[in-house]
Amino acid sequence: MAVLNRTDWYDVARTTNWTPKYVTEDELFPPELSGSFDIPMEKWEAYDEPYKQTYPEYVKVQREKDAGVYSVKAALERSKMFENADPGWQSVLKLHFGAIPRGEYAASTAEARMMRFSKAPGMRNMATLGSMDEIRHAQLQLYFPHEHVSKDRQFDWAHKAFDTNEWAAIASRHFFDDIMMARDAISVGIMLTFGFETGFTNMQFLGLAADAAEAGDFTFSSLISSIQTDESRHAQIGGPTLQILIENGRKEEAQKKVDIAFWRAWRLFSVLTGPIMDYYTPLEHRKQSFKEFMQEWIVEQFERSILDLGLDKPWYWDIFLEQLDQQHHGMHLGVWYWRPTVWWNPTAGVTPEERDWLEEKYPGWNDTWGHCWDVIIDNLVEGRTELTLPETLPIVCNMCNLPVNYTPGNGWNVQDYSLEYNGRLYHFGSEPDRWIFEQEPERYAGHMTLVDRFLAGLVQPMDLGGALAYMDLAPGESGDDAHGYSWVEVYKQLRMKKAS
Amino acid sequence: MTSNTEVGAEYLNNRVGPVMRAGELAEAVAEAAREDNPGKEIRVDDKRAYLRIDTDDEMIIRRTTIEQALGRPFNMPELEIDLSSFSGRIQTNPDYVRFYFAKRV
Repeated sequence: MAVLNRTDWYDVARTTNWTPKYVTEDELFPPELSGSFDIPMEKWEAYDEPYKQTYPEYVKVQREKDAGVYSVKAALERSKMFENADPGWQSVLKLHFGAIPRGEYAASTAEARMMRFSKAPGMRNMATLGSMDEIRHAQLQLYFPHEHVSKDRQFDWAHKAFDTNEWAAIASRHFFDDIMMARDAISVGIMLTFGFETGFTNMQFLGLAADAAEAGDFTFSSLISSIQTDESRHAQIGGPTLQILIENGRKEEAQKKVDIAFWRAWRLFSVLTGPIMDYYTPLEHRKQSFKEFMQEWIVEQFERSILDLGLDKPWYWDIFLEQLDQQHHGMHLGVWYWRPTVWWNPTAGVTPEERDWLEEKYPGWNDTWGHCWDVIIDNLVEGRTELTLPETLPIVCNMCNLPVNYTPGNGWNVQDYSLEYNGRLYHFGSEPDRWIFEQEPERYAGHMTLVDRFLAGLVQPMDLGGALAYMDLAPGESGDDAHGYSWVEVYKQLRMKKAS
Repeated sequence: MTSNTEVGAEYLNNRVGPVMRAGELAEAVAEAAREDNPGKEIRVDDKRAYLRIDTDDEMIIRRTTIEQALGRPFNMPELEIDLSSFSGRIQTNPDYVRFYFAKRV
């Protein structure tokens, strides 16, 4: 029997809206979950997904993808790549696997919300596949690190991180809850699939894959780039959604949702992806700097697609460009300094050769961030390690839940963007962070940052030990310098040379 | 390093095309891009883990051309196995895939 061409039956097969007789439209599609935006049903039916896929095709293609990824893993299993890898690269893996897979499970629920509650049939079809994609991502990224758990218990955090009150886990949950768990189906389509997946996931899943290939870690490179092939398809859920909102006079709301998702993703990636690309990945394996990857994926590709869909540049574009040179250096310094509070071992990444590279990629680095590291290096050379460990808490932003930080040195211009709401003073690390809060203060006001919790007496005893217990960081999990400070030797020798 | 004003203007481009996981299919797609878009400059940026294949304004990749390059039958949806990302918009079809922009800048 001849099989019909897909184009001949696709539209009919997925046009599954019908007229309900026993319930109202609002009962079938509750506005809180569906996100009606006062756009009538027939307008949603005009939704035309550009990246079409049917279920039989999906099953066949996904099977092929998994066969590829698992065979690369099997083939390289005995290569001892992991055992022989630089500790900095091992930290990249620990950070990635702790930060990502459980969020993928959550994303499958967000896709399921679009699958059930979107009024656009095409969107429901794409989200059905999207939901299964995210389950694949969670399972793969829990399975791959599992083989390392018996060697290094920091890998246990692949499963554990999202169940703890560790600060980076709090910041991730706050972001993902905001853009995907606590939004209606249409907003999820815009904020998660368009705002996040067509943009920033490329940084972590393709940019980092390039570094992984350079580092010889083909298992990881093949894994994350394969995951991104799913994203590439289901991220296309957002485009036609935006189109329908714009065509129905809802451009301003659509723009605001994209702007919120973009900014929040940027802040999280400045601590997640920035340090691993510019400091943890061994110097000889760095394909490009974090800023160069941002330029390739976010400025040239993602921002261009925003324009093509009929939206504008975000209002904070200049602030974003300014932060491109700065933000992640501060995040990195903070993570290394507060190293006992993370589940991986941060790499300092500031040997003389690495500093030359940083200076080349970010002119002025030595004159700004370099000064802070000089003090740390002096203390380490003199054996005063205790002075390089945290005794106090940073000021944490009430939106991104990350430390407020600015570039040190002559241009030092730290600013707290504060806001009083319902008798409470909130602090923000930037104008866009405060702006997001102001759009819907009641949505965010009740959340306590880790520092808020500390000051409220929820962390006991009120010292580092109490904080580590609150964050569930047991001995053997709590981070320390990735190279056990061996990199300080070169500075000791330089001192001796200078003295003689 | 490029200054941030220059970086900030880089979104004003019309480059479209697939970003493929490195491998046999990526090479075939690069070949098809050259064959199926005569007279256009096709750029292939090899990032080791992935190949960024692009050109200006519009790119067509045909199933039959991929088949010739691979030397075996190929179904268009199989492109997804290695299609990690793409610039521009996509139009999927059983016989070809098209990357394009709705607006030129």
